[in-house]
Amino acid sequence: MDSTAAQSTVASRDARAQALSWLRRSDTIFRLVTHGAALLVLGLLGAVVLSLIGGAMPALRTFGLAFFTVDDWNPVADTFGSIAPIYGTLVTSIIAMLIAVPIGFGIAIFLTELCPPVLRRPVGIAVELLAGIPSIIYGIWGLFVLAPWLQTTVQPALIYVFSGVPILSSLFAGPPFGIGVLTAAIILSIMVLPFITAVSRDVFETVPPMLKESAYGLGCTRWEVVWNIVIPFTRVGVIGGVMLALGRALGETMAVTFVVGNAQRLSVSILQPGTTISATIANEFAEATGGLYQSALIALGLLLFVLTFVVLALARLLLARLDVKAGK
Amino acid sequence: MNDLSVAKSVMNAVPVSLPEKISIRDLKFYYGSNLALKGITLPLYANHVTAFIGPSGCGKSTLLRVLNRMYDLYPGQRAEGQVLLDGANVLDPGLDLNLLRARVGMVFQKPTPFPMTIYENIAFGVRLYESLSKSDMDQRVQSSLERAALWPEVKDKLQANGLSLSGGQQQRLCIARTVAIKPEVILFDEPCSALDPISTAKIEELIEELKTDYTIAIVTHNMQQASRVSDYTAFMYLGELVEFGETTATFTAPRQSRTQDYITGRFG
Repeated sequence: MDSTAAQSTVASRDARAQALSWLRRSDTIFRLVTHGAALLVLGLLGAVVLSLIGGAMPALRTFGLAFFTVDDWNPVADTFGSIAPIYGTLVTSIIAMLIAVPIGFGIAIFLTELCPPVLRRPVGIAVELLAGIPSIIYGIWGLFVLAPWLQTTVQPALIYVFSGVPILSSLFAGPPFGIGVLTAAIILSIMVLPFITAVSRDVFETVPPMLKESAYGLGCTRWEVVWNIVIPFTRVGVIGGVMLALGRALGETMAVTFVVGNAQRLSVSILQPGTTISATIANEFAEATGGLYQSALIALGLLLFVLTFVVLALARLLLARLDVKAGK
Repeated sequence: MNDLSVAKSVMNAVPVSLPEKISIRDLKFYYGSNLALKGITLPLYANHVTAFIGPSGCGKSTLLRVLNRMYDLYPGQRAEGQVLLDGANVLDPGLDLNLLRARVGMVFQKPTPFPMTIYENIAFGVRLYESLSKSDMDQRVQSSLERAALWPEVKDKLQANGLSLSGGQQQRLCIARTVAIKPEVILFDEPCSALDPISTAKIEELIEELKTDYTIAIVTHNMQQASRVSDYTAFMYLGELVEFGETTATFTAPRQSRTQDYITGRFG
C-alpha cells in the first residue's frame, strides 16, 4: 500500500520534472524569439543606414562638403550641391511649426480648460480626423484650392504691406505665384496640427485637478495657471508632441511636392517656389538612372535621416537642460 | 429673524461677542440639480480655528470650497444664500475671484507643490500681487518658510525642485506658499490625510500658531485632530449643520444625539 503510494508519487514527480524540462525548453525558445525580434529591428536600422551611406558615398566623395553648401543642382552637368533642398526643408518645417504650435496649444488648452463639455468631443474628434486625411488629399487641396486663393488674396497683401520694409520686403518679395515655400509651410502646419493638439491635450489632461486648484486658490487667472503650472508640468510630453510633429514636417513628401514649386534654387523670399529634400527625391528618382545623380539623391536621403536624428537629439538635450533649470 | 432662530437651535454655548470674520447665512449649494448644502448658517470667528466634521458626503468639503468660490471652476455648480467676508458677500457674481482667493487661501488634501523650485513655489504667488525687489522677495520667502516651520530644513536647497521634498515638507511648503501672499483666512481641506503621524503633528502645531494672524477653517475626518486643533466645531450630516459650538463643549457634551454617535464612532 505504502510502496504503491510512494511509487505513484515518484511517477507524478517524474511527470512534473518532464513537464518542467519541456517548459524550460519552450522558455528558452521564447526568449530567443523575443531577442531575435529586438535584434531584427536594430539590424534593419543598421542595414538602412549602411545602404544609405554606401549609396551616398560616390556623391559625397566627388563633391565633399560642398555637396551640403553649394547652390547648384545640375543633373545635366552632373554637379550637385544641395543647399536649396536643405534650406527649403528647414524653412518650410520651421514656418509650419511657428504656425501650428500656437494653434495646437490653443486648441488643446481650449479643449482641456475652457471648452463647454458639449463641444469637447466634437472638436476633439474633428481635430483627430485631420490626422486621418491622406497626404495626397492635402496636396490636391493645396494645389487647386489653397494656392490660387493665396495667390489672389494673401500673397499680394503681404507683398504690398512689407514692400519698403528692410529684410521683410525681401522675405516677402513678389510676384505672387500661389505655390511656393509659404504655401508648403501652411499645408504642413495643417498636417501636423492634429499631432500637436492630440498629444498636448492628452498630457494637459494628466495635470492633477488639485494642482490646478491650488494655483487658482492663490488667485491665478486661467492664463497664469496654464502658462505657469500646466505647461511646465507637462513640458516633457508637450515637447515630445512638438518634436513628433517636426519629424513629420521634415519628412513629409507628397503634399509638399504638390505645392512647393520644385525649383532647385535658393531664394530668400518665402513666396517663391523652392524645394525640399523629400520633394527632390520623389520628383527626380525616376530620371536618375545610376551614376552620380542617383548617389546624390541617396545622399539627400541620408541627410534627411541625420536631420531627423539631430532633431530628436536636440529635443533630449533641451529636456535635460529644462530639468536642470527646474532643480531636478 | 427666522434664520437666526434656526441658527440658535444648533448653537452650543457660543459667546456672541466674538467678531465674525466670515458669516455664512442660509447657504444652499447645488451640484447640477442635486442639493448638497441645505441652508447652512454658521459663523467663522476671527483668529479662531473652526473644524468641519461629519461623515463622507455630508458637505463639509463643499462648504469649504464655497468660501473661496473654488466651485466656480466647474460648470453646473452653484451656491445660493450669503457668505459675508467682513460684511461683503463673497457669492456676489461681480466679485473679483482672484482678489478673493488672495484673501482666502487654501491648503489641499494632498501636497501640491508647483513644478518649480522651492524658492519659486513661494515667489510665484507673491509676484501675482506685488512686485518686490530681489532682497525683499528673499526676505518674504524666508519669513513664509519660517512661518511654516520649514526654513531650517530647506534653507540650503531653495533651488531644489519642490517635488524633491518629503510629503510632510511638501505640505508645509504649500502652507508657506499660502501664507506668503498674506491672506486673511486659510482653509484647510483635510490637510493631513496623506501624511504620517509626525508630519501631522507638525502641521497641527502650525495651525495652532497660525491662528494668531489668520482665521482658519479646517475639514477633517480625524476626531482627535478636530478636538486638538480647533476652537469651534461644526458637525454636519447630509448637507445640514447638526451642531455648532465650542469644541470642548461639542466633544464633551454634544447636544444632539447624532453628534454624540458620530464622535464616539457609532456611525459615519
